[in-house]
Amino acid sequence: MNDDQSTYEYLAKGGKLSSPENTPARYRAELMRQMASFVDSELAGAAGFADCVNYGPGIKERIAASRIVLEKHDHAERVLKLMGEFGANTDRYQSVHPWHERAGREENLGHERHGGDMRLNVFHYPIEGWADAVTMNVMMGEATVLQIGEFAQSSYQPLAETIQGILPREKRHLELGKEGTQKLVRSGTSQKQKVEQSLIYWRPRIAASFGGENSRRLENLKKLGLRKQSNEELRSAWESAVDKYFRSLFSD
Amino acid sequence: MAKFYPLEVLEIRKETNDSVVVSLSPPPEAKDDFEFIHGQYLTFRREINGEELRRSYSICSAVSEDNLRVGIKKVDDGWFSTWANEDMKIGDIVDAMAPMGNFYGSIEPDRKKKYLGFAGGSGITPFMSIIKTVLAREPHSTFTLAYGNRSARDVMFREELEDLKNTNMGRLNIVHILETEADIDLFSGRMDKEKCDALFNKWIDVSACDQAFICGPEPMMLAVADALKAHGIAEDKIKYELFASAPRGKGGQKSASKVTDANAEQTSLTISLDGVRRDTKIPKTGVSVLEAALAAQIDAPFACKAGVCSTCRAKIVEGEAEMEVNYALEDYEVKAGYVLTCQCYPLSDSLVVDYDQ
Repeated sequence: MNDDQSTYEYLAKGGKLSSPENTPARYRAELMRQMASFVDSELAGAAGFADCVNYGPGIKERIAASRIVLEKHDHAERVLKLMGEFGANTDRYQSVHPWHERAGREENLGHERHGGDMRLNVFHYPIEGWADAVTMNVMMGEATVLQIGEFAQSSYQPLAETIQGILPREKRHLELGKEGTQKLVRSGTSQKQKVEQSLIYWRPRIAASFGGENSRRLENLKKLGLRKQSNEELRSAWESAVDKYFRSLFSD
Repeated sequence: MAKFYPLEVLEIRKETNDSVVVSLSPPPEAKDDFEFIHGQYLTFRREINGEELRRSYSICSAVSEDNLRVGIKKVDDGWFSTWANEDMKIGDIVDAMAPMGNFYGSIEPDRKKKYLGFAGGSGITPFMSIIKTVLAREPHSTFTLAYGNRSARDVMFREELEDLKNTNMGRLNIVHILETEADIDLFSGRMDKEKCDALFNKWIDVSACDQAFICGPEPMMLAVADALKAHGIAEDKIKYELFASAPRGKGGQKSASKVTDANAEQTSLTISLDGVRRDTKIPKTGVSVLEAALAAQIDAPFACKAGVCSTCRAKIVEGEAEMEVNYALEDYEVKAGYVLTCQCYPLSDSLVVDYDQ
């Protein structure tokens, strides 16, 4: 039995890896893909949200938005550091893609990757105004917590631990978004309508960010210990969480 | 990016029949780069028959110790470990990357923590660093080590462990498990699930364990982890470091000399990057466009080198090339001439690649 095979069997039985040296090629490829997608999404998300700081109606909101921008950059840096241990040129990586670039608001990018980086497509759409930023932040926040919740259980232990450190802060970003939407809805009908419009705009786009279903690929990722739940399971959990939150928000 | 430093071999100590402990000294200007965290490892490279090959070995010195030591056990067909055990000499220079690795827990000097360690064979190496560092820096903590070997003569660091136990009475407990030669049934055999269950029921108290470390071959690691979890230890308290039982393939990187081999059939390669065009050569086989660019000192972007992350994406403006694997580019991008340069090999006599498009 060669070494890669025994490592794959070890992973299939729930084993964990802790250094790049021990990762067989196929595992490394899938892991790098997950990490690149996370880093690119955080960098693109932060770049898009940076513009929203100025939309904030007051200092408190601008601080919240700035904090989100700051921490998302920090999260990207932490995972990029792990990619560096696999030989990634981390200095170069940070500036190679135009993280702030956005597609048109009404373009339909589906769930196939777009452009040169690995960000989730939802981060290719531009944000329009404060209500839009806050609503998107809640909806994407719910998605992020579920998506990276998977990485927190990764068989690559350094990633799992890094994400476990990131997860509470991503949850806090979600809470900040919720506080923001509550304030907007309380402030009057026109803001409430904007939140509703944003909900309608972002819902299918974020739903698409969970990706299509490829059961063979999922089975492989499960065997590698890199995924637990299917895209469909995550999407459905996200839909329940988002629908529950906004129903209660609008009914208050 | 992978940067190697020349380390001088200061001392080679025969540890067992088939293992050595090597003391190394980094160049003075890189001393800070070689400050390490307990449990980390060094990656060495050597060129064998024109191919660059890399191997990693765990550091076995404590963080506070002045010298940098690694333990190297000879494995069958292991080209580096055989060289280190048989031909390495004091004064030799070996290239190594700065310490890396994540097999450690945070040091909290005020806490009274209870550690468990499970080492199989040469999987003991990182424990030497972890145990010494924990005992020195967490004066209230205790460490219990279960250490499995084939026989008594295979036990690496036997004396050093004994000394550590004697100087840290009551804080370091060691249980040797030997496949042969053990007098007591409980300490004889392999470290499998049954053995661990028996140990945890009769000898090692796993309750209130703050952190457990496992390092060894795959079956042992799974068995120990299963037993720990069955005895109520949460998954997030267990740290794993797989000690691959055999070298992973030939596992090498192509060396720079191969890139510039004048005898091989070559393609002329032009690379545009940040608005500057540079010309170089690339052999028709065996060297990717990215490797050729890096060998020509061109600061081409890359990350995974596995065809995954698309950082090294570029456009073929002239000539023909093929991609070995592609996990990142969409079909329309490939049709438009984009390639992942880490996976891209020339087919035509000349090739023009643009990283700026």
